[in-house]
Amino acid sequence: MPQADDTCRRNPGPNWGYRFLRTADIITPEFIYKPFRAIGTLIAMVFMPGERRHSREYLSFALGRRPSWRDVFRHFFAFEESLMTKLRVLNGRPHKTIYGPGADDFRHWMETGGDILLGTFHVGNSDMQGFQIGDENYAGIHKKTYIVRERVGNSHDTEKFAQKYGGRIAFIWVNDPQELIYALKDAASAGGTIALQCDRCEYSARTAEFDFLGAKRRFPITIYILAAIFKRPVILAFGTPQSPDVAVLHASPRFEVIPGETRAATLARGHQHFQEFLRRLEKNLRENPCLWFNFIPWNSPSPISPAPPPRGAAA
Amino acid sequence: MADPLIQRLKQLIITTLNLEGMTPEELDENAPLIGSGLALDSIDALELVVKLEKEFGIKISSSEESRAALASITSLAEFIQNRADPSKLSA
Repeated sequence: MPQADDTCRRNPGPNWGYRFLRTADIITPEFIYKPFRAIGTLIAMVFMPGERRHSREYLSFALGRRPSWRDVFRHFFAFEESLMTKLRVLNGRPHKTIYGPGADDFRHWMETGGDILLGTFHVGNSDMQGFQIGDENYAGIHKKTYIVRERVGNSHDTEKFAQKYGGRIAFIWVNDPQELIYALKDAASAGGTIALQCDRCEYSARTAEFDFLGAKRRFPITIYILAAIFKRPVILAFGTPQSPDVAVLHASPRFEVIPGETRAATLARGHQHFQEFLRRLEKNLRENPCLWFNFIPWNSPSPISPAPPPRGAAA
Repeated sequence: MADPLIQRLKQLIITTLNLEGMTPEELDENAPLIGSGLALDSIDALELVVKLEKEFGIKISSSEESRAALASITSLAEFIQNRADPSKLSA
């Protein structure tokens, strides 16, 4: 899978940032802490021109108009609050996930287990799924969960998350694409859940065009190729906050690989499955545009999709 | 006469990676498989490795091993010859 371009790199913030936020949350009353976080977010926004530009670009599509400074601030603050929710759960605060309409297959999988590929998005409280799956109440039902993600400089939240759930959660880092495929292969052999982010193209070898937010945009389709290779079902999901301690989980129906089906047919069904879920995501984002955390170059509209060169042409 | 293992590998590569319109004769057994030559990407490599492991009962467990094995069809044949379950070589 290709390396991310330097211009796409996430800015993880300072190393001490997460520790500071967690400690301050314990010792500071919320009515003081929340305005303090808002001021901190505003300062961060001022000193992050690249992220601000990418936020504006995304919001202009989601809102259908030129975003104001207030819109951009709301976008930054929604991200900060999502991070805060995660840090609070790591601090031991209870958090509940409820199932939204259409999440029956996800609920059934949560209750019965099984090896799946879980497609997630950088949306709202989607990271809460990790806490939900890692919860010890499900320890006897679910095997290990492997979360595929990018390793950045500040991995305090990730390290704490892994500690909290001991051996039930493991991370596969996309930063080393050569080793990534072997880590994926080993994870698939071991059984359990492999969770991949499905809304960023920078580390994806295979992408396809989908109708999204008024244009054709590219999204990774690696999850459906892995489904075909490992004969695993796919469920797509994202979470949105209902209140500070409750998230609503939106999930797709289960996509199954049909034995004997051609690869092209599997991928065509996968494309349709993903497109249908993107429609639901778009509907949610039209109502709550700040919930999709696009602070890196976004998948802008595709102009014309050049046909890929035929493989083997050079041989 | 062509090495039967190399012929089998060529056919397996074409089938596994869905290289439509290609024949085994068109595959250069000394050309690099990844990056240039067939221009396979990491997903192709994963798919090929999974198929080879199943077909020959071998284990390719790191990128170093993979780089050596997938350097070309010839090197892949040598790798399999040295590691494979003998009963699967004659299949």
